[in-house]
Amino acid sequence: MTHPKSQHVVDARYMEPPEPFVQTMEMLDTLKPGEKMLLLLFREPHPLYKVLRQNGYTYESELVPDGTFEILIWR
Amino acid sequence: MQALLSFDKAPPFAAPLRFFLTAPLFVLMTGVLLMAVGPDMFASRWSPGLLAATHLITVGFMLQVMLGALIQILPVVAGANLRHPLAVARWLHGGLSTGALLLAAGFLFGQPALLGGAALILGASIAGFLAVSGQALYGVPSTSPTIRGLKFALFGLTGAVALGIVLALALARGWALPLPALTDLHAAWALGGWGGILLAAMAYVVVPMFQLTPGYPARPSWWLPRVMLALVLAWTLAVLLEWTLAIRLVQGLTALAGIAFAVLTLRLQRQRRRARADATYRYWQLGLYSAIFGLFLPLTATAWPPLAEWPGFSLAVGILLLVGGFISFIVGMLYKIVPFLAWLHLQNACGGQAPNMNRLLPELAMQRQMKAHAVAVALLLAAVVWPEWLLRPAGAALALAGGWLFYNLWGAVGRYRRHLAQKVSA
Repeated sequence: MTHPKSQHVVDARYMEPPEPFVQTMEMLDTLKPGEKMLLLLFREPHPLYKVLRQNGYTYESELVPDGTFEILIWR
Repeated sequence: MQALLSFDKAPPFAAPLRFFLTAPLFVLMTGVLLMAVGPDMFASRWSPGLLAATHLITVGFMLQVMLGALIQILPVVAGANLRHPLAVARWLHGGLSTGALLLAAGFLFGQPALLGGAALILGASIAGFLAVSGQALYGVPSTSPTIRGLKFALFGLTGAVALGIVLALALARGWALPLPALTDLHAAWALGGWGGILLAAMAYVVVPMFQLTPGYPARPSWWLPRVMLALVLAWTLAVLLEWTLAIRLVQGLTALAGIAFAVLTLRLQRQRRRARADATYRYWQLGLYSAIFGLFLPLTATAWPPLAEWPGFSLAVGILLLVGGFISFIVGMLYKIVPFLAWLHLQNACGGQAPNMNRLLPELAMQRQMKAHAVAVALLLAAVVWPEWLLRPAGAALALAGGWLFYNLWGAVGRYRRHLAQKVSA
């Protein structure tokens, strides 16, 4: 799946915890320097944000009208 | 990778667990009280037994679980970390449990000293919680409707408790206040300004997460907490100005806002991606339909005031909203949260070897307990019309549902502890 914001997308909107967390971590491992990934979720993942901050990642979150949080992550 | 799954500062399991295990005992107690007092309890909404039962449920069960869950969930849904969560849990749990018992005893036995003591203990405990949670949320931007909802709900809790203290002291000391109007206002703040907004704020997260539904659309999610809070503020103003027509109108609009939220949630549930109807889904269905009927009554009374004079009006609304609605939503969430937390803590302790969540709390046990609860709701409603015949059986069903809930949660905790012990000894 691709998205205007990134080619690397984890659509975790219909996944049960902790799958969104696990899949995001797995995708981050595959990113090349300079690449960004997008996580789609129906909530803001604060525990993930914390892990991202601790590991030197930056993220930007946007709530779109259908209730999806689009979370762009890069290092 | 696995190490990242351990949320280093997640509150210890013992922090929320004490609330989750104590709360069902208050439902059990309510059922026993119904059996002990019998049909007299439903003679009027002001009967001492009914006031006691109402507060065993609202403070002993609902508030207990809500605040216990917030200690756990504030870091997860808002990134707001409570300082010393275990210490907060200890004094808050002690204060809420003692306060709920004193309050119920104060109503039941008409003892001003007990009501005064309850007001003091509950007031101090909840003020303490508001201070620590306010501190945790201070400076946290409202980046999601959930965070905004949480902040508004805590404001609503402040209003509900302040009015509750005024009412308890007015009863204890015989102050000349318009008690019926203030009691309705207290209920509006407690169930609309606090419970309703909190429920919506949590639903935005847990309904899609646990029931695999689409998300709540953004625009109404941002607006609902605002609308609800504006309505209870307008209700307060109308009571202060003694403007009866405005009170009636605001009551109707508040009911309408609640119905809109419930209908939206039902619509999302219909689009869920999980084919199996588990206990949480069924509990939420029961809760949503009960809430819609419970809110439809005051909405109808706005248009047709004689309905509110029917002696069973307040009883039916209270049963539908509290027992059919809030208890159902809360137990539905507990049945996901308790096994999930047990699994998460085991996962961290056992390095990824935790047992399946369904083995910690079997689906069949939850479904059976839910049937007892549904029977209790039905019997309580029927007892509004035939209290002589049905109030004691309704009490027995409610006691059974409460006791069974305790048994199910206790069983899950027992299995969690056994797995943990096996791991430690391995």
